[in-house]
Amino acid sequence: MLLQAFAISPLLMVGIGAMLLMMAEAFSKVRGGLALGAAAVCFAGVACAAGVWMYGVETIPGIDAFSPWLRVDRFSLFFDALLCLGAGLSCLMAGGYLPEHNLDRGEFYSLLLLSTFGAMILSAAGDVLTLFLGLETMSLGVYCLAAFRRASARSSEGALKYFLLGSFAAALLLYGFALLYGVTGHTDLQGIGDAMAKGNIRNPMAIMGLVLILVGLAFKVSAVPFHMWTPDAYEGAPTPATNFMAVAVKGAAFAMMLRVLLTAFGDPRSASWASGWPPALAWIAVITMTVANLVAGRQESVKRMLAYSSVAHAGYILVGMVATMHSATQASAGVLFYLLTYTVSTAGAFGALILCGRRGAEAVTYEDLAGIGRRHPAAALPFAFFLLSLAGVPPTAGFFGKWFVFRSAMEGGFYWLTIIAFINSVIGAYYYLRVLVFMYMREPAAGAPVATPMRSGYVTAALILSAVLVIALGLTPTKSLSVVFQAAAIFGG
Amino acid sequence: MDSLLSVFPSKDFSLLGIILAAPLLGAFVNGVWGRRLGRDAVRLMAITAIAVSFGAALLTFLALDREVTHAGHGHVKLAWTAWDWLYTTGKSETQIPIALRFSVDALSGVMMLVITGVGLLIHIYASTYMWDDKSYWRFFCYLNLFVFSMLVLVLGDNMPLLFVGWEGVGLCSYLLIGFWYGKMANAAAGKKAFIANRIGDFGLICAMFLFVHYTGALDWNGIEAGSGSLVTVNEATQVHVWPIGGGQFTGFLKFLQPDSPITITAATAVGLALLLGATGKSAQIPLYVWLPDAMAGPTPVSALIHAATMVTAGIYLICRLNFVFVLAPGVMATVAVIGAATAFLAATIALVQNDIKKVLAYSTVSQLGFMFLGVGMGAFTAGFFHVFTHAFFKACLFLGAGSVIHGMHARIHDDDKAQDMRKMGGLRKYMPLTFWTFLISTAAIVGFPLTSGFFSKDEILFKTMTTELVHPDAERLGKKVTFVQSLWGARDPSHFYVPPAWLGTALYWVGIAAATMTAFYMSRVVILTFFGEFRGWKLGRPSQIDAHEAAAHDDAHGDDAHGDDDGEHHHEEDLTKPGYAPHESPRPMTIPLILLAVFAAFAGILNPGLLKHFGLPLPLEHWLEPLFEESVKVGVHAKEGAEHMELMCTAGAFGAFAVGVGLAYWVYVVQKGAPAKQWAEAAPKLYKLLLDKWRVDEAYEASVLSGVDALADTATSVDKGVVDGILARLTALLVAAFGTILRALQTGVVHVYAGMMVVGLAGLGWFFVMPHPDGHVVEKGSGDYSIVAAPGVGYGYIWAEDGAKKPEKEVFSGTAAFPLHVEPGNTKKVELKVRNAFGIVGTKTFEVTAPAKAAPAEVIEMGQNGHGS
Amino acid sequence: MFATYGPMFLMMLVAITLASLFFIGASTLGKKKPTPEKMMPFECGSDSSGGRHLKLSVKFYLTAILFVVFDIEAVFIYPWAIHFKTLGWVGFFSMTGFLVTIVVGLLYCWKKGALEWEK
Repeated sequence: MLLQAFAISPLLMVGIGAMLLMMAEAFSKVRGGLALGAAAVCFAGVACAAGVWMYGVETIPGIDAFSPWLRVDRFSLFFDALLCLGAGLSCLMAGGYLPEHNLDRGEFYSLLLLSTFGAMILSAAGDVLTLFLGLETMSLGVYCLAAFRRASARSSEGALKYFLLGSFAAALLLYGFALLYGVTGHTDLQGIGDAMAKGNIRNPMAIMGLVLILVGLAFKVSAVPFHMWTPDAYEGAPTPATNFMAVAVKGAAFAMMLRVLLTAFGDPRSASWASGWPPALAWIAVITMTVANLVAGRQESVKRMLAYSSVAHAGYILVGMVATMHSATQASAGVLFYLLTYTVSTAGAFGALILCGRRGAEAVTYEDLAGIGRRHPAAALPFAFFLLSLAGVPPTAGFFGKWFVFRSAMEGGFYWLTIIAFINSVIGAYYYLRVLVFMYMREPAAGAPVATPMRSGYVTAALILSAVLVIALGLTPTKSLSVVFQAAAIFGG
Repeated sequence: MDSLLSVFPSKDFSLLGIILAAPLLGAFVNGVWGRRLGRDAVRLMAITAIAVSFGAALLTFLALDREVTHAGHGHVKLAWTAWDWLYTTGKSETQIPIALRFSVDALSGVMMLVITGVGLLIHIYASTYMWDDKSYWRFFCYLNLFVFSMLVLVLGDNMPLLFVGWEGVGLCSYLLIGFWYGKMANAAAGKKAFIANRIGDFGLICAMFLFVHYTGALDWNGIEAGSGSLVTVNEATQVHVWPIGGGQFTGFLKFLQPDSPITITAATAVGLALLLGATGKSAQIPLYVWLPDAMAGPTPVSALIHAATMVTAGIYLICRLNFVFVLAPGVMATVAVIGAATAFLAATIALVQNDIKKVLAYSTVSQLGFMFLGVGMGAFTAGFFHVFTHAFFKACLFLGAGSVIHGMHARIHDDDKAQDMRKMGGLRKYMPLTFWTFLISTAAIVGFPLTSGFFSKDEILFKTMTTELVHPDAERLGKKVTFVQSLWGARDPSHFYVPPAWLGTALYWVGIAAATMTAFYMSRVVILTFFGEFRGWKLGRPSQIDAHEAAAHDDAHGDDAHGDDDGEHHHEEDLTKPGYAPHESPRPMTIPLILLAVFAAFAGILNPGLLKHFGLPLPLEHWLEPLFEESVKVGVHAKEGAEHMELMCTAGAFGAFAVGVGLAYWVYVVQKGAPAKQWAEAAPKLYKLLLDKWRVDEAYEASVLSGVDALADTATSVDKGVVDGILARLTALLVAAFGTILRALQTGVVHVYAGMMVVGLAGLGWFFVMPHPDGHVVEKGSGDYSIVAAPGVGYGYIWAEDGAKKPEKEVFSGTAAFPLHVEPGNTKKVELKVRNAFGIVGTKTFEVTAPAKAAPAEVIEMGQNGHGS
Repeated sequence: MFATYGPMFLMMLVAITLASLFFIGASTLGKKKPTPEKMMPFECGSDSSGGRHLKLSVKFYLTAILFVVFDIEAVFIYPWAIHFKTLGWVGFFSMTGFLVTIVVGLLYCWKKGALEWEK
C-alpha cells in the first residue's frame, strides 16, 4: 500500500501540493513565497519521479492496482518528470513576471499546479475515461491561465477562442471514444487495441472513431489546420502561462497521442502504411511544418513567432510519430527526446523574452528587441542561445532532438518526409536568426520605446536551469537517451 | 613519478583534462572579462594557462615514458574518458560509441609537448609584441583557444574528436588571420584560409563515413583493428567511384553505365579523402594558396599556427593513420608526389619574393612538402621528426622576422613596406640577438651539418632514395598493373597498382633541387636583411624637431603599428631625414628567440640518423618505432644496398646546402646582387611568373572561383526568384488570407477557426473513407514473386492475374498476398481490387517483369486508384 | 445497419413532418388580426420594463456553480453510503480524499469571499 503510494508519489506530490498552496494563498497575506512554493512542489515532483524511476517501478508489487485506469510505468514517470520540469520553470518565470506586470494574484500557481496534475494523469491514463478526465482537468486550468490578464481584451479573446474550440475538439474526441466503445466494447486502451488487432473489424464506425480521435489529438498538439487558436491564445496569455501551454500541455498531448495510437491502434491494419494513421499523420506533419514555418517568418511579434514555432515543432515531432509505425521503441524514444530538448529550449526562450522587458514595456515585437544585444548582453545572450537550440544548431540540445527524430524517420524509410522536415528546419532557422539580427545588428528607431531588461532572481534561476539542461543535453545526450529508451520500451518492438 | 601514476592510472589519466582545461579556461576568462581585466591580468592569465598546460604535459610525458619502460614495449597509451558523448549506428545495426576520450601515446605525446612548449614561448613573445594593440584581450582569448583546439586535435582518441579540434584550429586561424579585420585584405585572407580548409574538411568527413561503414569504428584502436576490411577483393564491397555509390543508370541515362563499375578499395578511398583533408590543413598542392596570404595575421600567429603547429596537423593525421595509408600504396605515392611537387614549387616562388614574411611562408609550404614526401615514402619517423625540428626553427625564424619588423616599425609604419627586405640590410649591427638566432635557425633550415634541420631533412631525403612502396596484399591479389591500367584498364578487383621503384629516386632529385633552392633563398633573406648597409632610412642623429616627432610617433603607434584598426591612416615619415637605427627588441621577445634557436641547433641529437654508425642512439626513432613498425613492415621495402647509399645521399644533401648557400653568397655578397638583376632581365617572363607565384591564385580565380561565383549568382537569382518571388509572395498571400480571416474574427466570429477544423476533419475523413490499394512486390528467387497488399482496417482483396478467367461472383477475401510465377524475360500484370470497411472499392495494377538473367525485378506500378460503387 | 436504426429514423421523420405540418398549418391557415396590445411583449400581465439584454450579477453564476458542485457531491456520496461495507477501507479513504478535496475547495471559496453576497 505504501509502496503503491510511493509509485504515484509524483501525482500525489503535485495534487496535494496544489491544495496546500491554495490554502496557503487563501489564509496567508504573504504573496512573495508562492512562486517559490509552487516551483518547489514541481521540482519535488521531478524528484519523486526520479526516485521511483531509480527504485525500479516494475519491481513495486501491486503496481497493477491502478491499471488500466492509470498506468504507472517508466513512460508515465518520464512524463511526470518532464511535465513537472516544464511547470516548475513556468512557476519560476511567473515569480518574476507577475509582480513585474502587476498581475500578482495567487490563483495563478494553484491553477498551474492543478493543470499539471491533469497533464500527469493524461500521460499516465490507460483508459479513455481517465484520459478524458485528465484532459479536462488540464484544459480547464489552462483556459483560466490564458485569460489571466483579465483587463486585456486580447487575453480574454484568445482564451475564449481557445475554450470554445477546445470544447469542440474535446467533444469530437469524446465522440470518437464513444464510437470505439460501441464497436469494441472496451474503454481501456489495451482492450481496444486487442479488439482492433484480433479480428478484421469491418465496422466503419471504428474508422470514424479513429478519425475523430485524430482530430482531437491534433487539436491538442496544435497541428495545422487545428492550430488556429494557438497564436491568439499564446499571445494573449501572460508569458509564463504561454510557456506552460507550449511546454507542458503540448508534452502531455504527445504523451496521450503516443499511448492512444500505439496501444489502441498499434495493429498493422490501423497503422498501415497506405491507409492507416501514419500516412494521415505524415500529411498533417507536412502541412503543419510548412504552414507554421512560413507564417512564423512573417510575424512581427516575437511572442507570436514563438507560438508558430511551437506549432512547427509539433510538426517535427509528428514526423517522429509517423516513424513509430516501423520501430515503436526507437522512434518514440526519439519523440520523447525531442520533447525533452524542446521543453528546455522553449522554456529558455520564453524566459529570456520575459527578461528582456519590464513593467509597461514588455518586449513583444522584433523592434522592441533592437539593439538589446549591445546594451544588455546578459539578457540577450541566453535568448540567442536558446533560439539557436530551437533552430537546431549543433551542439545544442535542439540539434540532437532533431537528429534523432529525423534519423528514426530516415531509418523507417520516410525519405521524402525527412527531406521536407529538413527543409523546414532550414526555413525555421531564418526567423530564429532574425531575432538575433535584431538583437545584435539593429539599433532601435529614433524615439521608439527602448526595452530595458527586468531584474529577477526567479527568471534568472529558470534561465540558468534551462541553459544548464540545454548544454548538458547537447554535450552528453547519451545518458538521457538511455532514459528515453527505457521510457519508450513500454511500447515494445 | 610512481605517485603520479597512482593518482592518475593509465586507464583514467585525468591529468589530460588539466592540459586541455587550462588553455580553455584562459580563453574563457580573457574572452568574457578580458576587456575589464586590463593588459597585465590578461597577460598573466594567458601565459599562466599555457604554462600550466605545458607543465602538465611534461608530467604526462614523463609518466608515459615511465609506462613505456614498465611495459617494455611502446604500445602504451594513457587515456582519459571525459564522458560518453553519443552513439552512431554502423553497419548491421552495431552501435559505435563516440566518447569524449583523450589519449596520449608516443606520437601525440611529442606533438603535445611541441604545442604547449612552443606555444608558451610564443605567448611570452606575443605578450610584448602585441602590447599596444587595443584588442589585446581578444588576441589572447583566440590564441589560448587555438592551443586548446590544437590539443583536442592531437589528444583526441577518435576521428570525430580530431575533427572537432580540426575545425577549432581552423576557426581560430580564421579569427587570427583576420584579427585586424579593419583591413579588407586581412578579412579576405581569413576567408581564403577558411574556404581552402572547408574543402579539406569535406575529405575528412567522407573519410569518417567510410570508416564507420568499413571498419565499424571511429577510435584509433578500433580503426586499426578493423583496417583489414578496408582492402577486399570483393567488388561489391569496394567503393564504387562510378556510378557513384554503386547505383545503376537506366533509361535514357544508360549510356553513362560502364560495362563493369569502376571501383577502388576502401583503403584507397579513405586515403584519398584523408589526403584531401591533409592538403587543406597543411597547405599542399592544390590547396596551399591560403597559407602565404595568411601571413596577414600578427607575426606570433604566423609562428605558432602557420609554421609550428596547425599546419602540421595533416602530417600528424597521416602518421596517426599510417596503418590505413600503407594499405593503399597508390595513395602513399600520391602523398609523396604532392609533397615533392609542393616543396619544389613553393621553393621556386620563395626565390624571388621580397616580403620577408612571404619568403618564410613559402618556405613553410616547401618544408611541409618535405614532410609529406617523407611520410608518403613510408618514412613516418623521418617525416614526423621534421615536423618536430621545423616547429623550432621556423617558429624562431618567424619570431625573428617579427622582431625585425618590429624594429623597422620605428619609422616605417606601412606593413608591406616594413616587411620589404629591400628596405632592410645591415641589421646585424643593430639587432645582434635577433641576427644570431635568425642565423642559427637559417643554418638549421638550409641543412648546415649537425643542426637539427640537417638531420631531419637529410633523413627524409635518404629514406626517399632508398625505399620503395610495396602492396601489403600483393601475394594474395596476383596481377600487378600499371598506373594507366589501374585507372582505365580492365577492372578486376584482384589487380593492384604499386608505384614503381624509380619513384623514390626521382623524388629524391626533386627534393635535392628544392633543398638547393631553400639554401639559396634563406641565405638571400639573411644577407639582404642583416648584412650590407641599412637601406631603410637615413641613419644619423635626428635633428631636435625630428627627434621630437619620432618620439611622439613612437608613443602614438608604439611597437606594433598594425595595432590600430584604422592602420591605413598613418602618415608616412620622410625617410630621407636622418633617424636612429632600428633597435633590438625587448627581452620578453628575445628570450623566446634564444630558446628556440638553441632547440633549432641541437634538437637533431634526438634522431641523428646519419650518425648512427658512430654509435649515437636514436631516441626519437626508438620512441616512435612501435607505432610505425607494423606499417613499415607491410608497406615499405628498403632497396638493396640501402645502407651503402647513406653517404651518397648525405653528400647530395650537403651539396644542395653548399651550392645554395655558396650561390647566394656569390650573388648577393660578392656581386652585390648584380647577377640576380641580370637573370631577372634575361628571363623577365619567368621572373614575373615567379614573382606572381606561378599565377596560381589567378588561375583559381579564373576557374574554380568564377565557377563558384557563377553558382552563387545562380543561387542568388534563385533566391531572389524563388524565395523572394514565390515563397515570400506565397507567404504574403497566405498571410493575407489569414489576415482576412483574422479580420473576420475581430468581429467575434470564432466560426472560421471551427470551420478550418471542420475542413481538417473532412480531409481526414476523406482519407480514411477512401480505399488505398497499394502493395509491394517481394522477389522470392527463381522467378517466383509475391505481391503483398497494404493492410487496412476492414480491407478485403480480390486478385486477378491478367488473362485469367474472371470468377462469376466477386468475393473479397482477407488474402493480402498473391503468389506469382514469371518466366525470365516475361511480364505479367496483376490487378488488385480492394474494398474497405465503407464498401468502397479501389483498384491498382501491378506489372512484374522477370529479367532475362538473375537480377532484381523491375517493378513498374501502373494504374491509379479507381473509385467505384 | 438499417434494421437497427431504421425505426429511429422513421420516428424522427414522423416527428419532424408532424411538427412542421402543425407549425406551417397554424401560420398559414389561421387568421391574423394584429393590434398594438397583441404585439406587446407578454410578461405575466404586467407592463415590461428595461431592455432585453439584462446583465445579471456574476454572483448569481457563482452561487449557482457552487450549488451544482455540492449537489454533485451528494450524487457520489449516496452510492458510496449504500455500499459502505463492501467497499471497505479503500472506499473509505477514497471518499475521505474526495471530501477533503471538496472541503479545501469550499474553504478557498469561503476565504476568497465567494459566499458573501454583499461586499
